[in-house]
Amino acid sequence: MEIALLGLAAALAISIPAIATAWAQSRIGPAAAASLAEKPELSTTAIILIAIPETMVILGFVVAVLILLRTGG
Amino acid sequence: MIVRMARLRIAGPRPLLEDVLAAVQDSGLLHLDRPRAPYAAPPDGGLAREHRHVQRCLIDIETALDRLPAGDAGRKPADAPGLSRGTLRRARRIRRDADRLAHARASLEDERVLLLRYREFFQAFESLVGHELTWPDSQAFYVVLRAGAGSALAELRRSLEAAVSGEVEVLHRELSSGEWAVLILVSERAAPKVGALLAASRVEELPAPAGVGHTNLLRALPALKARLAVIPEELQALDEDRRHLSDAERPWLVAARTELRDRLLRLDARHRVLAAEHLFIIEGWLPEARVADLERSLHDRFGPEVVTATVGGEDWSAPDTPVTLHNPPIFRPFEVLTRTLPLPKYGTIDPTPFVAVFFPAFFGLMLGDIGYGLMLAALAGALRMKSAPDSQLRSVSTIGLACASSAVAFGLLFGELFGSLGHAMGLHPVFNREEATMPFLGMAIAIGAVHITLGLVLAALNLWHRGHRREAMGRGVTLSMLLLTGLALLAALEVLPSRLFTPFAIAVLVAFPVLVALEGIVAVIELLSTFGHILSYARIMALGTASLMLAVVANEMVGAMGSVVVGALFALLFHLVNFAIGLFSPTIHALRLHYVEFFGHFFSPGGAEYRPLGHWHPTP
Repeated sequence: MEIALLGLAAALAISIPAIATAWAQSRIGPAAAASLAEKPELSTTAIILIAIPETMVILGFVVAVLILLRTGG
Repeated sequence: MIVRMARLRIAGPRPLLEDVLAAVQDSGLLHLDRPRAPYAAPPDGGLAREHRHVQRCLIDIETALDRLPAGDAGRKPADAPGLSRGTLRRARRIRRDADRLAHARASLEDERVLLLRYREFFQAFESLVGHELTWPDSQAFYVVLRAGAGSALAELRRSLEAAVSGEVEVLHRELSSGEWAVLILVSERAAPKVGALLAASRVEELPAPAGVGHTNLLRALPALKARLAVIPEELQALDEDRRHLSDAERPWLVAARTELRDRLLRLDARHRVLAAEHLFIIEGWLPEARVADLERSLHDRFGPEVVTATVGGEDWSAPDTPVTLHNPPIFRPFEVLTRTLPLPKYGTIDPTPFVAVFFPAFFGLMLGDIGYGLMLAALAGALRMKSAPDSQLRSVSTIGLACASSAVAFGLLFGELFGSLGHAMGLHPVFNREEATMPFLGMAIAIGAVHITLGLVLAALNLWHRGHRREAMGRGVTLSMLLLTGLALLAALEVLPSRLFTPFAIAVLVAFPVLVALEGIVAVIELLSTFGHILSYARIMALGTASLMLAVVANEMVGAMGSVVVGALFALLFHLVNFAIGLFSPTIHALRLHYVEFFGHFFSPGGAEYRPLGHWHPTP
């Protein structure tokens, strides 16, 4: 039972930030595309801005791994 | 690194101004900056007039060059013509000729395209040419019905015959596209009725070709065919004329354009020169190491009449000093990455050498696979072979090769060849990141701590060097708190003796008010964000592990598909996908770690680019 709960916790740890990241990127993406249409020189800034929310899912992944390690694998 | 600049002042008698500016342009060294003088020179109306003439002439020349076909690149360029009435007239004449020929060619092309639209129509009804027409004064309507509308033909015929009491002939042919070409011949008397009926039933007429009007297509058809046959000859003749004009005038046009572009640059430069009735003063920035070259060149050409002097000792402080980067050849390709951001301010730090060291390292840590590294090396090698020396693509290929080498090196360290295949083939990992997840996470965060510490050290040194002692000390205290916190954590985790925890914690608490006193309450937020930045390096472990896991899944497909061949094909496909992700993701995240986390501590964007007055060169 405890292992199942830990598995669920790991799944939530990765899935909730993944949804949050997707939501943030869905907002940033169109805005970045619109900016690029007017100022193509902003491409680096646009890529960075799109990559910033990925921190959430990356840290979620790290937390999920830590939880799974507690279950012994 | 940012090249050390010097400000040079050149003064001389007014009549020599044009020649001195030309000499400065020949040297290509001086970034002009208007002298700071307590008086303004009187406006020179002649300059604006000359500027207008040059621009008008350039428009004629460049339009003519644009209109004429490209000539033989190996031809010897003509002598520079200079700006005279003759030059202006010749440029205008060539432009008119080129315009006339280009317009004539465009009209012929348009006509040909239009006639080609009718070609199928012509061909469909070609057999009717020469037949006796039912109504000698008949008018024609041309209709194309869409594919599959053949059944509507009978209805169309019935409606038309009923409307005009049989004074209509409807001919139809199926086109190769499946559409139906319909030719409606109708007596002159009944034509308006048929036109109205077609419009009311929304049957779209094919517009009649120019010159045919509402006359009968079958009568005009031979003439149109003859016209279509003659157009290619006319086009060829026009092309011949254009080629002759290009051969005769292009060398002169190219020489005149170069001369006038250079002149325009000098005229623009005059706005940044102080020219009085008897004297002129030119000031500008150039690399300190090249000052002697320019001084010698001016002295050799003008003797003692033109004097030069280095102005002030404003190094590391003048905000308007232009910036140019110069790095050793091994680091230079990485300027592509730093130049995607605005240039650093003069007197601050060029991050290129640090990017050159850390970017491939982070990339390699994340990808960390011999197989993928070799694939990337092959790609980068191919790009290198196809790119021109000193081009941006060449720089990208060099960065690719550096990243590939790093990925292979870390692949050897991790014992990974297309994921777990390396272990199966007997590669012994020095550090097995598949199993040592926690140590890998710790290593990623430790790398982050080192990188951020380096950023803070650079910031403190730079601020101290520029005289901002208080801010420099603030960065120093932040740095100390960072290190003390790290040491306290190590003591808490018993990596260091646990009795050291209390002294480290007390030292952090003591440093805290000092930091607030030096940099204000904002420093607290910055300190917290610095800890966040360090944790952000966990992405190195996360992306590395994810890449490894995808490769492991790909390898397991071989045994999971029932057939080894199908499994191997799927595995290959999955490895290709993983390779593509493995190129994109580590690049983006390694860049982000630099631009956001590392640069944020010391990088000061906003430097003006060093643009010396030089000769004009056409953009490739």
